[in-house]
Amino acid sequence: MQPISRRAMLAGTAGALVAPAAARAEVQPKITIISQWSAGSDGAAMVALGKEFTRQGGIWEHNPVPGFTTEMMNKLRAQIIAGDPPAASQLKGPEIAAWSKVGAVVNLDPLVKDAGYEAVVPAELARVSKPTGHWIALPVQAYRINTLFVSKKAADKVGLTALPKTWDEFNAVAEKMKAAGITPVANGGIKWDDGMKWEIALCGISPDAYRKAVMELDDKALKGPEVLAAFRQFRKLSAWSDPGAAGQHYSSFIPRYMKGEMGLLLMGGWAQGVFKNAGFSFDDYLIGPAPQDDGKVAFDLNADEFIFWQKKQPEFVEGQKLLAKIVMSKDFGPMYSQITGSIPVRTDTDLAAPGFSDGQREAAHALGEAVKAKRVVASLAHNMAQTNQITAAMLDVLTEFAHDDRITPEKGQQRLADAVDGVR
Amino acid sequence: MSESRLARGLIYGTLLVFSLFYLLPLVVVMLNAVRSTADINHNSVIAWPAAVVWGNFAETWSRYCIAEHCTGIRPYLINSLLMVIPATIISTLLGALNGYSLALWRFRGDGIIFFVMTLGVFLPQQMNLVPWAIVLRDLGLFNTISGLVLIHVVQGMSFTTLFCRNYYVSIPPDLLKAARIDGAGFFRIFWRIVLPLSPPILVVTAIWQFTGIWNEFLFGVTFSAGQNQPITAALIALAVHVSEAPQYGLQSAAVLMAAAPTLLVYLFGGRYFVRGLTSGAVK
Amino acid sequence: MPPRRLLGEGIRSIVMWAPLVVSCAYVVLFSLWTTAVSLTRSTLLPDYSWAGWRNYTVVLNSRNWQVAYANLAIYGTLFVVLATAVGLLLAVLIDQRIRGENVFRTIFLYPIAVSFVVTGTVWGWLFNPSIGLQKLVQGWGWTGFRFGWTIDRDLAIYAIVVAAIWHGSGFAMALFLAGLRSVDADLLKAAQIDGAGPWRTYTRVVLPTIGPIFVSVLVMLLQFAIKTYDLVVALTAGGPGISSTLPALVVYDFMFQRGELGRGSAAAVMLLASLAVVVLPYSAFRLWQNRRRFARV
Repeated sequence: MQPISRRAMLAGTAGALVAPAAARAEVQPKITIISQWSAGSDGAAMVALGKEFTRQGGIWEHNPVPGFTTEMMNKLRAQIIAGDPPAASQLKGPEIAAWSKVGAVVNLDPLVKDAGYEAVVPAELARVSKPTGHWIALPVQAYRINTLFVSKKAADKVGLTALPKTWDEFNAVAEKMKAAGITPVANGGIKWDDGMKWEIALCGISPDAYRKAVMELDDKALKGPEVLAAFRQFRKLSAWSDPGAAGQHYSSFIPRYMKGEMGLLLMGGWAQGVFKNAGFSFDDYLIGPAPQDDGKVAFDLNADEFIFWQKKQPEFVEGQKLLAKIVMSKDFGPMYSQITGSIPVRTDTDLAAPGFSDGQREAAHALGEAVKAKRVVASLAHNMAQTNQITAAMLDVLTEFAHDDRITPEKGQQRLADAVDGVR
Repeated sequence: MSESRLARGLIYGTLLVFSLFYLLPLVVVMLNAVRSTADINHNSVIAWPAAVVWGNFAETWSRYCIAEHCTGIRPYLINSLLMVIPATIISTLLGALNGYSLALWRFRGDGIIFFVMTLGVFLPQQMNLVPWAIVLRDLGLFNTISGLVLIHVVQGMSFTTLFCRNYYVSIPPDLLKAARIDGAGFFRIFWRIVLPLSPPILVVTAIWQFTGIWNEFLFGVTFSAGQNQPITAALIALAVHVSEAPQYGLQSAAVLMAAAPTLLVYLFGGRYFVRGLTSGAVK
Repeated sequence: MPPRRLLGEGIRSIVMWAPLVVSCAYVVLFSLWTTAVSLTRSTLLPDYSWAGWRNYTVVLNSRNWQVAYANLAIYGTLFVVLATAVGLLLAVLIDQRIRGENVFRTIFLYPIAVSFVVTGTVWGWLFNPSIGLQKLVQGWGWTGFRFGWTIDRDLAIYAIVVAAIWHGSGFAMALFLAGLRSVDADLLKAAQIDGAGPWRTYTRVVLPTIGPIFVSVLVMLLQFAIKTYDLVVALTAGGPGISSTLPALVVYDFMFQRGELGRGSAAAVMLLASLAVVVLPYSAFRLWQNRRRFARV
């Protein structure tokens, strides 16, 4: 497979470099793009991007595949088999590397260089965007996973004014809430939510252990004390959740959470956008980083990207250039992230603008600090750390553990290590 | 006489209890379709409407946005009709032809063909996704409604053939023997004798195909593009908000409208369905 | 043979054989292709490099597959048996010359018109303790009432059984009703003259004559059971944890979620192979029926 893809890559480079002079004058840039963002704030952000693309003279053809990411990838797979991939598609994390081996992708190096883009993008994002050393994808937005939201009403009931800083503090708050008749944890109980609770626990206990165990699949780390501690904390989080949480999306608990009947939500930054859409304001909750035992900053990263597929037609080549230009521009981040509640990718974005929230500002600042301190880790539950094959195997263990308290933390840890062995 | 009255009471009582079980989901959906989101969130998913509102229907029918297209579910409903009507007609007729060949013309290998067709009824959809992508590519039917029609015709033929075959088996062989002695061939017997006897089973088969194809999601979403997508894709777009609270009211209205064609088919065709089955389809 | 006749004969063969060949080719080629892929290292896309039996051992040893197969045994058995029983009961009751037959029949039959996704979603609401029936009944004052099968790892699979029965038993009823209606009236009269009560009439006269219908019902319900996918995705998503997963979900999960086409294909082939065990005797039974009929003439 390797030689083909390398040849394809060269062809892509040639296409990107040669086509412009001949084509610019004649063809109208066109983009076909596949994503799962069909509705809600994600859908609205894509609409805004489409409008901007059209305004700059392009033809925008967005093909949303409603449903889950898997359906979106089925569509992409079918298009690649049919020899007609979209000009661009949503993809993330290590899947970018995996998919770039099965279809010919566009080498974006010249465009990235022209835009001086690499210097203003966090290194972690640059790393996933150029799995073979060349830029083949562009980050769209980033989120912090390890974020804690506390219901203001619940906080008032137990006299909480500041967020718990460590897991011990967190546990003490949860106990207090429980004693006050509040359901301490407001998370849901579907697969990715379960995986997320565990990874936030591990990241808060030790980002180093997280990097070794989850990102490098180091056997010693997987069987180490930090991972076991994460399972113990995970067990507590599950026990503090609503007994009816299994299979529930966290958003179904929002009304109860805002009423103060539930207290603590461990969720990515996108929850802000969801709260806003549900009619709640920043006064209704406290937001900040999830507990971090060593007191230093750590960032569990989730990011969406667009990958660019090689097309021969000049209108698509032009369209890809136009889309890349827009996505890399300084104005893109504010436009897109203010709709979805994410963190803009460019580190030089002006976050003081009124459209951003304090939560976004704090998370963006944390990302910058964590990059400097080399304490950024990639989210497991959101397919940033491993390919889907390994992720799915690990999440199965975690979700089973969350809903079966007969499985001890020790046994859970063993099963996780076994599952990794099985697919490695 | 009182014993028989007791028995009657028991019969009706049992039927009523079961009716409740079958109607419950429909009632919940119908009630929610006329409730506001605030009402549902404030009270419960199962409750009488605080106030009856009809806005959900207009919203889902013509205003709801799926990506850039704020057209509601109407265009998707039309796509589904464009797909399901030809697919149902073609697969039913070819099934009738196949069933006729299998039931009334004995030939070498009919046993194997019958076995293969039966196996076809059981093929899991997931398994066929990639092979179909390859076939559609080679036929140049990718992302077209014709491609979806082809898939549903070919996959549906296993069912329609078996339905029709099992029905035609009950046509007395003497009838055919007589026709053959009179010099009638393969087509004439099909056209003059078998088809006129077929309406009951054709109704059953067509209803089966119509509902099956109408409700299919996996192929519809994978092998269609954007505005060509069938209604099931639009329904999922309404239902799956990865990042948003469920909108039970809109969803319920959409479900009712999306299910209307198949529900109507059963409402008006149900009678013929059982009648068709009665006249021999199941022997 | 005169040329005209030959031509006619040719057209006849083509028209007769083309649809038969297409529908068989689809089954055979797709199954063979899947079997071939199951022996390769295919991941995101088909890739024809030999992997031997490895995919099969990996799938067989995976926890998901073991849980899914055990669930299929529970779910398949309960669904087929209970849906048959409910269908037969309703058909017999409706057959008692009752009033409002049309209404009852429509009520029992309409679920088959509803898609599995909708069935799963709506039953999901009803089973959900925080919004569904449990909340409703507790609101009536019975605060101890518990009804949250979908959140209980030991009960979730039974929630799927209930929803599936709701969806499929009407079809069984229709088939049985059709069968009851086609029982020879003379037979019934004869039984009555012999002084047989309704119970005896049914068990001794009616049910034996509609025996073949049982076979049809079983086959239709069984194909529902084996293919059950959307219903579970919408109702429990295979959870809590993986406690209510089924083989079709595992096939999809391997093939597309994990991007392991080879392993997913291996799972699909094993599912099909276990089906052949059911399909073979059925085909044999049907053929035997037909042969006997031809032999009579």
